[in-house]
Amino acid sequence: MKALLWVPFLVFPALIQSNFILSIFIFSFILAIAAVSFNLIFGFTGQLSMFHAAAFGIAAYVTSLTTSFFHVSFWVALFPAIGFTILISLIIGSICFNFQLRAFYFAVVTLAFSELARLVILNWNSVTNGTLGLMVLDKPSVWVPGAGLIKIDGVFGWYFFSLAALIFTVAVCSLVLGSWIGRCFAAIRLNEDLAQTLGIDTFRYKLLSFTLANTLAAIAGSLYAFYTGYIEPNYLSINQSLDIISMVLLGGRSSVLGPIAGAFVLTGLPHMIDLSGEARAILYGLVLILTILILPQGLIGTLASWRRAA
Amino acid sequence: MLQLLVGQTLNGVIVGTLYGIIALGVTLTFGITGIVNFALGEFMMIGAYVTWYLFDVAGLPYPVAIWPAIAVAAGCGFAADQLLFRFTRNNLINGLLVSIGLISIIEAAALLLWTTTPKDMGYVLSGAVALGGVSVPKMKLVVFALLAAVIFLTYAALSRTWIGRAAYAFSQNPEAAMLMGVRTEVLQSTVVVYSTALAGFGGALYATLYSLEPSMGGLYILKGVEAAILGGIGSLIGSLAGGIILGVTEAVGSIYLPSAFRDAYGLIFVVAILLYQPAGLFGTER
Repeated sequence: MKALLWVPFLVFPALIQSNFILSIFIFSFILAIAAVSFNLIFGFTGQLSMFHAAAFGIAAYVTSLTTSFFHVSFWVALFPAIGFTILISLIIGSICFNFQLRAFYFAVVTLAFSELARLVILNWNSVTNGTLGLMVLDKPSVWVPGAGLIKIDGVFGWYFFSLAALIFTVAVCSLVLGSWIGRCFAAIRLNEDLAQTLGIDTFRYKLLSFTLANTLAAIAGSLYAFYTGYIEPNYLSINQSLDIISMVLLGGRSSVLGPIAGAFVLTGLPHMIDLSGEARAILYGLVLILTILILPQGLIGTLASWRRAA
Repeated sequence: MLQLLVGQTLNGVIVGTLYGIIALGVTLTFGITGIVNFALGEFMMIGAYVTWYLFDVAGLPYPVAIWPAIAVAAGCGFAADQLLFRFTRNNLINGLLVSIGLISIIEAAALLLWTTTPKDMGYVLSGAVALGGVSVPKMKLVVFALLAAVIFLTYAALSRTWIGRAAYAFSQNPEAAMLMGVRTEVLQSTVVVYSTALAGFGGALYATLYSLEPSMGGLYILKGVEAAILGGIGSLIGSLAGGIILGVTEAVGSIYLPSAFRDAYGLIFVVAILLYQPAGLFGTER
């Protein structure tokens, strides 16, 4: 039933032929991958990780640097990016969870690691070109039945490519959350000590949630780098983390699909209304504050509870 | 070389006390309201810009200009508390995100008002004193003395007065404190406003030493939080000590290592402290 929700997105490009609007959709899809995966650790496991943007940015750098240094395709470069993300997630996650860091302290330590990663990328000029960033010239290619191997270039190709990646992410998250793993995540969120007492290995499940979320963020980061054709240290900045958090909160943290709505509003809104950078920042801050104070369940959560009440 | 070392250590101590005044606000707010006000750096920025405006543009003498600056920062703090933070008491994540939304708004407003062009204030106090073979600008010593005095006075006030006892009682057991007649709502608002006033005071002093940019707040709140964790959340003197340790490490570290990594020292400290000594260097409990 829920799969039908995707149908409008499949026919949408046929109706709207505007490159501008379709590119907003592509950005929204890619950022929605980051938001949906962030909700895995934040909304469902209850841990405020500040490392999400770092995983996004690190993977963007690893994929694009691998393609340019070794002249391999996007798909081959994705493997070291994902492998590296899994490795650092396991290391940082083990450190944090081994030392029982909770709530604020977990957020601070993950933030510290993500800032360290940003500083390394910012100052490793010979490889990353520092603040200026790097151009990513390659584009991924896919095999299409009938047409053979084609390069994804142009808005239509990217639209369906990023949509497919988003559907993949949602499918992975739904699958995980629908299984016993998801129930363990919920137990940890609701009462970690009780979960431990009931025999749930909270260390293992928190580590799993953290690693899986970061891995999906890594996919989003790689796509983002190849779509925009540009990488810079700001991908790892605190602001990028906050953007993702705001998307999740605005959409609603209690459902898998909620963050997608948040990603669409926060990506689309600034482009739809023509605003100066400052006015945009003010609007963004207001949206964040008002969501938390007035709509704590987010857009989708509030809609759902209205429907239940009616 | 020794001269450079001494000079950098002194510089570090002075920057460190600025971190310390923010850390004090962080520690007080966290102890009483259960949230970390990440917008404290922005109140510091407000204090700094108001001082600059009154001293440089309006031409008031510095000792006079400093009071309206503190008042404006505290006024903004009061508004923020009544409109926003009142609804996020003891909800760490909501408080964090509301204060981050506030950063975005205040910083954008500052950009509209004052643009990105750095503002440099004229000399308030010129001249330098020789200290251990290096000459230190007099103003830096004044800034250090004033900030350290305010931190110690806050400490003294909290340990000697009724308000201080009420605050300690409240941080240990809010319900019992309420039953003993502590007006908790008032206490919480007072602490939030006091912490913004401290930040405004820090900003007013900051303006005499460095040039002002709307983005200055973001850096200082990060260092303030790092210093507060280093010294131990809840420890007032710890926040000063944490700030000074952080400031000195950064200043001395940039002699030996590339200065691009000076922001990394605090982060490494924080990770190490939280893992091995979660109560901080001067704290007693987590």
